[in-house]
Amino acid sequence: MKRGMIESWLRILLLQASWNYERLVGVGLAFSSEPLLRDLPGGKEGERYRTAMSRASQHFNGHPYLMGLAVGALTRTEHDEVPTETIQRLRTALAGPLGSVGDKLIWAGLLPACSAVALVLAVWISPVAAVVGFLVLYNLGHFALRLWGLSAGWSSGLRVAQRLGSPALKRGLRLAGPAAALCVGFALPIVAKWLLRHLDGHELIACGVILSVGFILSRWLWPTLGGNRFGLAAVVVALVLGVL
Amino acid sequence: MSLKLVRLDDRLIHGQVVVGWGNAVAADRILLIDDDVAANDWERELYAMGVPPEMEVAFATVDDCVDALEQSVNSKQRTIVLVGDVNTLVRVCDATDVVKRVNIGGIHEGDGRAKRLAYVFLTDEEVQALKKLEEKGIEVTARDVPTTKPIPLEDFA
Repeated sequence: MKRGMIESWLRILLLQASWNYERLVGVGLAFSSEPLLRDLPGGKEGERYRTAMSRASQHFNGHPYLMGLAVGALTRTEHDEVPTETIQRLRTALAGPLGSVGDKLIWAGLLPACSAVALVLAVWISPVAAVVGFLVLYNLGHFALRLWGLSAGWSSGLRVAQRLGSPALKRGLRLAGPAAALCVGFALPIVAKWLLRHLDGHELIACGVILSVGFILSRWLWPTLGGNRFGLAAVVVALVLGVL
Repeated sequence: MSLKLVRLDDRLIHGQVVVGWGNAVAADRILLIDDDVAANDWERELYAMGVPPEMEVAFATVDDCVDALEQSVNSKQRTIVLVGDVNTLVRVCDATDVVKRVNIGGIHEGDGRAKRLAYVFLTDEEVQALKKLEEKGIEVTARDVPTTKPIPLEDFA
């Protein structure tokens, strides 16, 4: 394994600590890349280390769990003496797919799927099981991505697109949305039944009415009033009425 | 006509374009005009990866963009055209007159550029080049995402 790999991997965990509007995760990218750049010819006082670090700290965006790919691939190009212009182009080109792959895989896949599983665990077993189950399941996927990313990036350099487009990841991208939908669809009736368990006939009808109104309104007025906002508004109204 | 948006953005294909503009103009195709990207396998692979499966993506060099643009105009597909720098944009507009409107979506800091808007940095030469496009009758406005108002060129440059 390349020297500095473990330190770099640990630093990526802190990547977003220096997040800011001007450079997004650029400074975090430089901080995480630093252990892998120390052994450039000339060392820490050398010209190549300095230019590599200043380049690394410029504006960059990408999904935090996939940033290992960027750190690995970009530091590799610095070691391989890839021309400056090409490294810049790789940076620009990487930001788009790192964001969109991460969004689809994590925010629209893993996160809702694990949340749904946790809800079912809460109903069927216990709240503690839900918390533990969620943390274990979510972080299996999360750390698997992180562990894969840095070494995949380092070993591929400029060819990092092949790793991002690997069959396993493509299958993951295809399955993420449907898997999340399946889990949420499975969890909804179970959770609804549990939430409504103490209600009698009239109250159930009232719930049905609120649900139907919410469904129609949020379809009609989306995106001004989506399902989330209607739900929150309904909760606020219920709280106010409860207090009165 | 099915050229829904011609956008100048140095990040080329990214979330704002695909999700923000893609939904707003109901685009089903992206045409990326850039000599370097068109000539480079790994860059094409990376940019293609940022495009959702229901959207088509095509790459062209400036030299062969005229055919690609005219096809886009006559096709039923709703195309977003992307270029990454002012120079490419000017060459495209010189080569064909199908571009009537240009959206400046983001040009970032670097090489002698001055800040014009939060997401637009331009050198004086680039400003002159854009003004020339306006003189040719092309409407140039800045607008990063569809939920904001377009800002006319004379208001920021």
